[in-house]
Amino acid sequence: MACSFDLFGGYNPRLARLSILNKNEKLYHLPVVCNQCEQAYCLTVCPAKAIFRKEDGIVHIDQDRCIGCGLCARYCPIDMILMDPENKKAYKCEMCQGQPLCVEACPTGALELVTPVKTSSSPENRSNPEAKFAPDDRETN
Amino acid sequence: MIEAYTHTLLMIDLSRTAVETIPVPAPYVREFIGGKGVGAKLLHDRLPPGTDPLSPENMLMFMTGPLTATMAPAMRGCVVTKSPLTHTFLDSYFGGSFSPEIKYAGYDGIIITGRAERPVYIWIDDHRVEIRDAGHIWGKDALDSNEAIKRELSDDTIKIAGIGQAGENLVSFALICCEYNRQAGRGGAGAVMGSKNLKAVAVRGSNPVGVSDPQRFTAACKKAFKELEASPDVEALRDAGTASAVEFANETGLLPHKNYRNGTFDKASKLADKGQRKHLWMGSNACMGCPIRCSKIGAVRTGKFKGIVTDIVEYESAGLMGSNLDISDVRAVAHLVKLCDRFGMDSMSTGTVIGFAMEACERGILPSPKDVDLKFGNVAAAEHLIRAIAQRKEGLGALLAKGVRRAAEEIGNAAEDFAMHTKGLESPAWGPRGVSGMGLAYMTTDRGGCHQRGFPLAYELGGEWEDKKLDPLSTEHKAQLVASLQNHSAGTDTLVKCDFGSFGISTETYAEMLSAAVGREITARDILETGERIWSLTRMFNIAQGLDTSQDTLPKRFIKEPLPDGPAKGHRITKDDMATMLQEYYQVRGWDTKGIPTEETLARLNLTQS
Ligand code: SF4
Ligand code: SF4
Ligand code: SF4
Repeated sequence: MACSFDLFGGYNPRLARLSILNKNEKLYHLPVVCNQCEQAYCLTVCPAKAIFRKEDGIVHIDQDRCIGCGLCARYCPIDMILMDPENKKAYKCEMCQGQPLCVEACPTGALELVTPVKTSSSPENRSNPEAKFAPDDRETN
Repeated sequence: MIEAYTHTLLMIDLSRTAVETIPVPAPYVREFIGGKGVGAKLLHDRLPPGTDPLSPENMLMFMTGPLTATMAPAMRGCVVTKSPLTHTFLDSYFGGSFSPEIKYAGYDGIIITGRAERPVYIWIDDHRVEIRDAGHIWGKDALDSNEAIKRELSDDTIKIAGIGQAGENLVSFALICCEYNRQAGRGGAGAVMGSKNLKAVAVRGSNPVGVSDPQRFTAACKKAFKELEASPDVEALRDAGTASAVEFANETGLLPHKNYRNGTFDKASKLADKGQRKHLWMGSNACMGCPIRCSKIGAVRTGKFKGIVTDIVEYESAGLMGSNLDISDVRAVAHLVKLCDRFGMDSMSTGTVIGFAMEACERGILPSPKDVDLKFGNVAAAEHLIRAIAQRKEGLGALLAKGVRRAAEEIGNAAEDFAMHTKGLESPAWGPRGVSGMGLAYMTTDRGGCHQRGFPLAYELGGEWEDKKLDPLSTEHKAQLVASLQNHSAGTDTLVKCDFGSFGISTETYAEMLSAAVGREITARDILETGERIWSLTRMFNIAQGLDTSQDTLPKRFIKEPLPDGPAKGHRITKDDMATMLQEYYQVRGWDTKGIPTEETLARLNLTQS
């Protein structure tokens, strides 16, 4: 809700940059958010080089370069890229400059922002904030 | 600008396969806000007196309110139609995500009339509306048909409201399933849908819904969230849903046992939250955007009924399908309720109807079906009846599918003495003999004997309301109390709120969220006044449709038989009690001694044209 409002000035979870996955008659529900993947398929497949990673590890889309081909959305494994119905360009979760609105709006604590401890296997470009999501029961997107 | 109202109604006539949109008339919005109010006004103005609820002419409306689909917490949508069970006004509320989706698709409401030649479903994808063949889905239960439609449209994020076999077979208490575990449950809206040959309405909406003053709105929502967090009732709901009410009702002697003969059940705790926690629950569930999350979701893991995924056995079902039938195994009750959900039948009415049948059989005025022993406590018998009713099988299934009032009339033999209903709506799981105000609420609710349009018993047992001392057994102050609660309920049902949200959120905060959302100053008083206006409007509708006001009464058992147990043992609501409360109530409402709104009242409420 908070996310779609930020983007479009109105509420609609379908427009939000995160989603809630429901399974088995809603016995399970999991928030799904962009992983800011190490091997980001969205970034790899973009023919216009509109997708890039900033130093903090977050994967961004430069809408000025985006040509709206939709390849990124097609190859993201968890459908975390959306196409703007108005300008027909791609958009995704860019972590709201480090202060995610969804985390702020979440009344249950299902969403929180955590800074992972660096381990030997973690790539050097992912030492910064990243969202961790615990399963809970809201549809607050 | 993106607004909280879409100002648009989608009209679908299935007889002519005609689809059009009309603007919501501005005076309707001004006088009736949304949801229940606008629905009632449309029904009142457009439905000719005496319309058969199952005829093509009846209107089936899915209504939203100005706060539906926004960030405002605990909001829902409602179905408004004329009930085949009571032949009165019917509003039935549903949570989940179906009502927001209507708004996102661009409509404040969907109005369906006519009857399709063969089974169809409606597919609404924003402004594209398609009436599609449902021949291959007809006959499937509510959950399977939901899945089939999602598969057919290749999108499992579509939101669907649909019926099961009970709706197809015009069972008069069939419901509309608004996935998952959310239903427009009471009063037979599912049968109206079935009579239109309409299996389901599937919606996908991609438009944002806005508010007039985002900053003010966000602040008001924050306040509402805070009020919810501060409410002990909300905390109890979050912890155990409505299941904890089972013990409360048992202690206060209000829990129906054996077709309401008794008010306590010695095995009640097995049906309550403790039993459910042990046998069923795994996690919590909420309607879209609701922080209360009153639902518990789980699965039956052991015993004869293992494998079913189940929502909480909420209080009404635990009372009516459990204790009322003398069944204490909560897994068995979950199984019976799940069967009702799949067939698409109101588990409350079904419980009351089965309890009635069991008593009739024990009294020897109804023959037991072959191979089952139709008596209290028998789970197999209850299951047999559920299947028979949903499919209108055997004479008995068809008889009970008409609801307890008609069934009692047809059986004769004084069966009416223990047919538990008001105006045809089967009684809820709160026996009123120990709380007379609750009795008055059942007598006067616009859709028939219902506990959701005012729940005075909380105040009656609390002993106090607006600085007045209350005695649960006395008739004093009950008329004012009930009328005031009904006004609040109807007023906030225009938003469309969830009753549980209003346990925490104050009317002032509702008014603040509403004003910020729609860009017009609306006070708490305006909301209550709108509620009062709606209450007289639905009354006018009911009278125009032929309601005889002598039906403002209670089931005979509550009048004649003193409660045999519990703290209010020996009490009943006498004819005198009823008459006293009723006359006082009519007066508070500005209705004449027969219960008909006077000219002055209509003028005062701006209802003269109605
Ligand atoms: S959009 Fe998809 S592919 Fe791209 S980083 Fe996020 S999760 Fe990975
Ligand atoms: S839609 Fe835009 S961002 Fe996505 S792959 Fe195409 S050009 Fe790149
Ligand atoms: S309290 Fe329960 S029924 Fe009401 S909106 Fe919240 S989750 Fe839905």
